[in-house]
Parts: sequence; C-alpha cells; structure tokens
Amino acid sequence: MELPKGKHNEPVVRVQNLAIAYETHGGDVNAVRDVSFEIHRGETLGLVGESGCGKSTVAYGLVNYLGRNGKIVHGEIIFQGESLVGRSPEELRRLRGDQIAMVYQDPMTSLNPVLRVGQQMTEVLTVHRGISEDAARARCVEMLHRVYMPDPEAVMGRYPHQISGGQQQRVVIAMALLNNPALLVMDEPTTALDVTVEAAVLDLIADLRRDFDTAILFISHNLGVVARVSSRVGVMYAGEMVEQAPVREIFAHPRHPYTQGLMRCVPRLGADKAGSVLYPIRGRVPAPNHLPPGCVFEPRCDYATEHCRQERPALRQISNRHMVSCLRAEHIRASEWRPTEDIIPLLPAADAAEPETILNVDGLRTYYRQSGGSPLDLIGLGKKRYVRAVDGVSFTIPQGKTLGVVGESGCGKSTLIKTLIGLEPMTGGEAQFLGFDLEKKASQRDMGLIRELQMVFQNPDATMNPSYSVGTQIERPLRRFKVVPTNQVHAEVVRLLRAVKLDEHYYDRRPRQLSGGEKQRVGIARAFAGRPDLVLCDEPVSALDVSVQAAVLNLLLEIQREQGTTMIFIAHDLSVVRFFSDYVAVMYLGQIVEIGPAEAIYAPPYHPYTESLLAAVPIPDPSVAQQHIRLEGSVPSPLNPPSGCRFHTRCPRRQLLPDGGAICEREVPPMQDAGDGHQIHCHIPLETLHDLEPVVTIAA
Amino acid sequence: MAVIEQPATLTAPARPSVWGRIAAVLALLGRSRVAIAGLILVGFWVVLAIFADDCIIRPACWVGGGSDGTVVSTPWLARYSPFEQFRGRNLEGPSADHWLGTDRNGRDLWARIVQGSRIILVLAPISVLIALAIGGTLGLIAGYFGGQIDELLMRVLDALMAFPQILLYLIIIAALGPSAVNVVLAITIAGAPGIARLVRSLTLDIKTRDYVAAAQTRGESPWYIMFVEILPNARGPIIIDAMLRVGYAVFAIGTLGFLGLGLPPPSPDWGSIVNTGRKFIQAGHPWDALWASLSIASLVVGLNLLADGLSEELGRYR
Repeated sequence: MELPKGKHNEPVVRVQNLAIAYETHGGDVNAVRDVSFEIHRGETLGLVGESGCGKSTVAYGLVNYLGRNGKIVHGEIIFQGESLVGRSPEELRRLRGDQIAMVYQDPMTSLNPVLRVGQQMTEVLTVHRGISEDAARARCVEMLHRVYMPDPEAVMGRYPHQISGGQQQRVVIAMALLNNPALLVMDEPTTALDVTVEAAVLDLIADLRRDFDTAILFISHNLGVVARVSSRVGVMYAGEMVEQAPVREIFAHPRHPYTQGLMRCVPRLGADKAGSVLYPIRGRVPAPNHLPPGCVFEPRCDYATEHCRQERPALRQISNRHMVSCLRAEHIRASEWRPTEDIIPLLPAADAAEPETILNVDGLRTYYRQSGGSPLDLIGLGKKRYVRAVDGVSFTIPQGKTLGVVGESGCGKSTLIKTLIGLEPMTGGEAQFLGFDLEKKASQRDMGLIRELQMVFQNPDATMNPSYSVGTQIERPLRRFKVVPTNQVHAEVVRLLRAVKLDEHYYDRRPRQLSGGEKQRVGIARAFAGRPDLVLCDEPVSALDVSVQAAVLNLLLEIQREQGTTMIFIAHDLSVVRFFSDYVAVMYLGQIVEIGPAEAIYAPPYHPYTESLLAAVPIPDPSVAQQHIRLEGSVPSPLNPPSGCRFHTRCPRRQLLPDGGAICEREVPPMQDAGDGHQIHCHIPLETLHDLEPVVTIAA
Repeated sequence: MAVIEQPATLTAPARPSVWGRIAAVLALLGRSRVAIAGLILVGFWVVLAIFADDCIIRPACWVGGGSDGTVVSTPWLARYSPFEQFRGRNLEGPSADHWLGTDRNGRDLWARIVQGSRIILVLAPISVLIALAIGGTLGLIAGYFGGQIDELLMRVLDALMAFPQILLYLIIIAALGPSAVNVVLAITIAGAPGIARLVRSLTLDIKTRDYVAAAQTRGESPWYIMFVEILPNARGPIIIDAMLRVGYAVFAIGTLGFLGLGLPPPSPDWGSIVNTGRKFIQAGHPWDALWASLSIASLVVGLNLLADGLSEELGRYR
C-alpha cells in the first residue's frame, strides 16, 4: 500500500484549547472545555472517561458533526497543517476530503440494511474516487482480507443482517480504511460486541495501526480496552482533559486522583481475589452547567485542599511525556492511598459451618418454539423446531452464597434465571427452592414463594416505571407482600432508601430525575423490599459507569451480608464476577461447561472455553501478560446445536486429543471432577488441562 | 438586633399539584406556535359553548332542555334563542342586529351556530372517550396476552375496519334512528378498532420493559399490569391520537347532520344548518352554509393543530 510520506514529526491532527458548547433552552452548555492533544502517524490516542465527560463530543467536533445546536466556541483543530475551525462546510469537505473516517459503536447504524455489503463498499470507491467497478471490487475484497474477514468473496454478496456483529464491525472498519484515511476516529467501536469478539476486533485495530500507519483517536469507557490498543491515553473528566501520558506510564503511575480512582474501581483479573476489591469514587460527575468553581474533580477528591476549591488547574507537563491537571500531582502517591471508611465494602465473612442447600436445579431445560416460514406453520402443522436456550443445566447453591454465571450473549444465562423466576415456562428438568417446586410460571405461584424469589434487572432505564415516583414503586412490594403493617410502610421505604444509600428526599423523585446508578439502587431496594431469600441479578452493573458499578456491586454485597441473601449473579465479563461470587458457572450454548469455587475457575485446569474467555477479557494493566487465545467464528445456532461437545466447532484445544479431537464431534464430554466441587465437562484429561499455562500472569 | 433570622430549613420538594401539572402542560404548549394557534381556535369555541346562555348557572335547563320551550334560558353570548323566529326577517345577510344574518325561518344564525357548538363539543369528546375506553381495553388485552386472544380480537376489529367509516355510520343510524345517543354510538363503534390497534402496538412495546417483568415477578395480576404498569406509559401517543379523533368526530357529526342523520330538527346542528342552507346559496343567500362550514372547519383545524403541536413538544422530550 502506498503511503503519502509526510514529515514524521508533524502531527496528523493537533487540537488546541478546543471548547465546544451545545445551545439549549437554558443557555449554552459547555460540554468540552480547553481540550488539547495531538496525534501523530501510527499512533493511537485512547480517550477514556465516564459517560457525560465529553469524549464523543470531541470526536464529533473533529469531524464537524456536532448537530444543529452544537458549536465550537474557541480553539483550533489543525488537520495536516490546515485549520478546520470556522470554515464553511464546502471548504471543510475539500480540506478534509476523505482523509478522516469514523467508526461508531453500533455497526448496524453505519451499514445500509437493504444493500449488499459489496455494493456499499464498492460505492465508497466508485463514487468518491471514480475507480472502475471491477477495480473497486478487487480492492474491497483485498481490504476485507486485511480485516481478517473469513471468506471475503462470499461476504461481499451478503446483506448486513446475514453476518455476525463482529463481522459487521469489521466491514465498517474496512470501509473506513478504503480511502486510506490519515485519521481514524473510533467511538466505542467494541462496546456493543461480546468479549471474545471484542478481543478479536481490538487485535485487528492494533494491527491496522501498525500496517497502515494511520493516526487513530480511540474512544472508550473501558480502561481495559484502551490499555490494549492505545499508545497514549488521555483521561477526560467533566469536559476537561485531566491527564495524558503514554499507556504504560499512565497505568503504572497515574498522577491525577481521578485516574487513580478509576483504576481502583475496575476489577482486575491480574490480581488475586482479595486484591480485586473495588473502591468506588464517591459522588458523581457534575453537570456541565453546574461545575464547581475550582478544580472540576475537587468535590470528589480525597486530596482536595482549599487551594483546589479556588483555582482551576491547567494541564501541565510534569515529566517528559506526562501531563496532568492537578495542583497537587507531585504530592499524591497512588500506593499510599487508603480507602476511607465509607467506601470499604463489608464483605461477607467466610462461614465455617456448611450451610444447607437452598436451590437445587437438576437437568433444567427451557426451549422456545420457533416457527419456520412454511405455510404449514401458519395452521400449526409445520415441523416443530425448538431453540434450546437452556439445555440440561444442573447446580446447587448453599444458603447465603453467590453463584456467578458467565458466558457470551446467547449462551442462555438470562433464560436460565428467567425460567427460575417464572417469566419463562420450564420445558423439562427440576428446580427445588426451599421445598417449593419452581415448575409453574410466576402468575400461578404461591405468594410465599414469589416473596422469597426476586430479581434485579439489567437496564437501569427500564427497571423503573417512568410514570410513578420512587417511593410508590418501592411501596408496592411492601404492601403486596405485607412485609410491614400499613402504617409503617412509609418508614420502611425510607429505611430501604437509606440501605441503598439514597436520601429520604428521593421518595418523591421521578425516575427521569435519577442517574443510571440511582435507578439501579432503587431497583435493588425494590427487589430486597420483601426480604427475599434468593435474588437473581441479571447483569445489574453492565450498563453503568465504572465508578458507579463498583458502588452498586459493593452495595449488593453489603445487603447480602446483612440479610444472608443467596444470589445468582449474571455477567458477561469474568473479571466482574470474580470477587463477587463464591461459585462460578461458565455457560456455553445452554449448557454449563465448567462450574466450581470462584478461585478454582481462574486457575488451571480450565475448560478450553473458560480459558478463551479469560484470554479475551481486556485487562486495564499493560504490564500483565495475557495469553493470546482467540475463538474462531461465532456461537452456533441453538436451534441446531453441534453434536457431541457443543464447543467443538470453535475449541482451540481440540488438537490436544488424538485424531484432532474426533471424539469431540461424536460424544458428549464426560464430567470430570477436579476436586472441591470443581467440575469440567471436557474430553481432554484433567492432567493435560492442569499442565496448561495460566492465562493471566502478572509481570514480576 | 444583631441576630439574623435563619432561613427555614430545607423542605423536601412538594408533590406537584394538579394545577401545577396543568400549568406544566400549558407551558409545554406555549413553546409551540402551532399549538398556540390550535389552542386559540379551540378555546374560542369552548368559551362560546360554555357561555352561550345562562344554563351554566341554571341546572334546570340542562334537564328540561331548551328546545321544547318548557325552560327558557337567557341568552348570553348567543344573544338570542336559537329557536326564536323573527317575523319578516328571514334570509337576511349580516347586520348589526343579526351578526351573521338569519335563516329561512327568521332564526338568528349566530345564536344557532353558538348553540350548535355546544352540541358538538359535548358529543364529539364523549364519543371519543367511550371509544377510547373500549378500544383501549381491547388493545391492552390483545397486546398483553398475545397469541390466540390477540388473533381473534384483532381479526374481528380488522373486519370492522374493513367497512368505510361513513358506511358504518349510515348503517348504525339507519338501524337505530337519528338521535344524539345513536350518533355517539356510531362514532364509538367506528373509532374503537383504530384505537385498539394503536394501544395494542404500544402495549407490545411496553410489555417487554423490565418494570413489567418486575411486576410479573411480584405475581401481580394481568389487569394490574395492563392498567397500572403499561397504560400510563402509553398515554402520550394515546392523548395525541384522541385529540385528532375528536377532530374526526366533529367532522363525522357534521357529515351525519348534513345527511339528515344527525340530531333531529330544530336542533341547531352545524351539519343540518349547512344542509338546509345550501338550497339558498344560488338564491344569493350563502350565509347559512358558509358560517356553519367555517365553524366546522375552524374547530377541526384547531384540534389538529393542537394535536400536532403537542406531539411535536412531547416528541422533543422523549
């Protein structure tokens, strides 16, 4: 590929004191203030920060896509030596040409669903460059090869919905690269993808930077993702750049208290279980129109002094390539930080006595009827086909313990708990809970059972009914389950609000006045109102910002400790489950492939699937060595699961068996007991699995 | 005194009162010029209808009715009774005495139009409200339960929707005879299927939300979930749709009156005023038909503008 040989010391893009505001009814809102950075060829600048910190606004400012009410207040954007600010759209088009490309979070919004992939891709070249149809086609196929698309020729002829999410994102990236852009802006490109797919796309991005010598602005809320692809990292907080340094430097020696706080509230696979305790940052990100007068982070900072309250610090250089905007950066040492009383989670004490089993699930199956397209189906005579969402799952949970369930999307983990709670009808198998049979749907269950079995939902925006106040919604289960006498309901709601660390004033608030974390707390208060024995949590923190995530996880642990509640906790990310759970079950295509005590899951012997999941988790620490294991292809359809071991189509360890694992296709793998309740369903002998290297090793 | 009075301790924000919410809705409407135009047009007719005569302070004339003359109301804004015939003054054009002129029986057109607005502003919203209750319930049931109940209900309603609306009105009125109750009934039956469709589609969307699942895991009854958890969250589109439907209902009542199927004479029905008046257009007296048509048009346009403005403003904050 030919590259315009530019001067290598000249940055591709230089942003100076950029300020962007949105015009609203209540006046201008300054979303981004005085942000400066530059990106050179072959360099990736990762922008991290929580939602509402202005990361995306910076990206939209670069491509002049701020919408009707957005405007650049002041500052400079110099792209390849020319200023982009204050130009007319026509001039911008000429200056920028096809030199800046953008990749968004959801690939489906970038692809036209009614055009074939090939048609969309060739159009980029034929329309903008005037290249002939055949030449364009050849280049597109070549480009798809470059993004490691399996069978590019065939993909060119498919519609976007016929390829998987990871492949769609590859197509979008390939399209962005077709014009050989000087700058590639990526806004959360892997957030909508599964961990295993994400890992593969991140590898791709890292390779592309090297091969194409492009400058990349990579935006993500996930520190682990940024650590994997970036060469430099900028941390944004409340519309300001608070710290900027090379990736190793910033993760090893974060200087700004916010960066340090962020690092402490993300779970790490590298550390041991005790080291993966999370410490949230107190408070929340200030709204851009209610900023504190001094340092923007001062109200949440452990180190704030009177000086910080009065003077707003500027981004300054403190060592060779490390910039930070903190007045006290030289005096703060992350290693000397001790958590304050209020944020130390009170972890459940280990119980010596063997608790009794509260939930016993045996061979549970949940199938969905799938109707085909034949006319016979319309009158109910078609061939019956079933989606085997959960297919023979067995486990037990002792009282007061937590079972974490992990797996990619579509592995049946959500269906499992929906079946247990009675939202989906059970197809077969048995589930015993406190002597109740969980066979019936929730509407037919005994009130005593309903009260003991509650659920915390995933999406904070949908967990509360927008039409009713917080108090009304917590009151409902109290009245329904007659937890307290009617005249004490109000007092009990207030007690519950306090228990989830919300003020009494929240009683009359409407859901739309709450932040995501607050909504999730109310959802937790509602679930725990009836003092249930078993609470099912369906990814309760995956939609939350990291600092809030930590607080919500700790809150759940504290309530569990107080009430002795048993929990099932679903997550797609193995690192989140680790310190939270006593037991972990790994699910693949409706079946449990490995289950055991939490610590045992994270060390060999692993099931090959667990091993690949662990290898895929982005770790927010570039110094940690992680094995490179990537899964091929996507999860097969649960309509027609593979024979024998369901994982055999993607298993990276099949070669360890004689005949390249022919047995895996024929026979269902046996359950192997690795001791202490640790079970692995695999044909590979335990000794072989045991000798595999650990996926994650901490550099000495 | 050197002591400075301490401000009262902070109190929790009070629950929004009914008036507070009305003020909030009006403030919302105030942002949209379209909505303001609609509000002025509709408000004009509402004020006329309320203050047409002194019935508002004399409950007796509601019960007895003014048409047969047993209870005589005193005209306020209407200036005259809609039934009073001025001898020798038939088919006159607008004048200082009779602002809009008189009809062939010498009745004051202004009085008839103003009294007619009262009829239409009572019948149209009532018929829409009943249609809303029936259609809304059916839509909730079809959407929430799904499956065969849904199929059955929706096919029956589809069959009803397959008839042209005007044909449905004619059939119902022809079968039951022209009266205020039957007009309401006809509009209700013709309007309910459309509302059911809308509510069903909203229900299908809302029932997938987590708070509905939360209610199910609390073992709530389907009726509680439908009417307490789902319906309030569908209210935005329903209110806008209902406002448009009041407009259609005004039109439908006018049409029925024009066809002689509305309220029986001598009721000052706008549709029948147009119908009787159209015979005199070529005789140089277009006033009956003109004023009554303008009234219908302005009310329908006003209601549509209001619905448009409201949906615009609600959409902005969704």
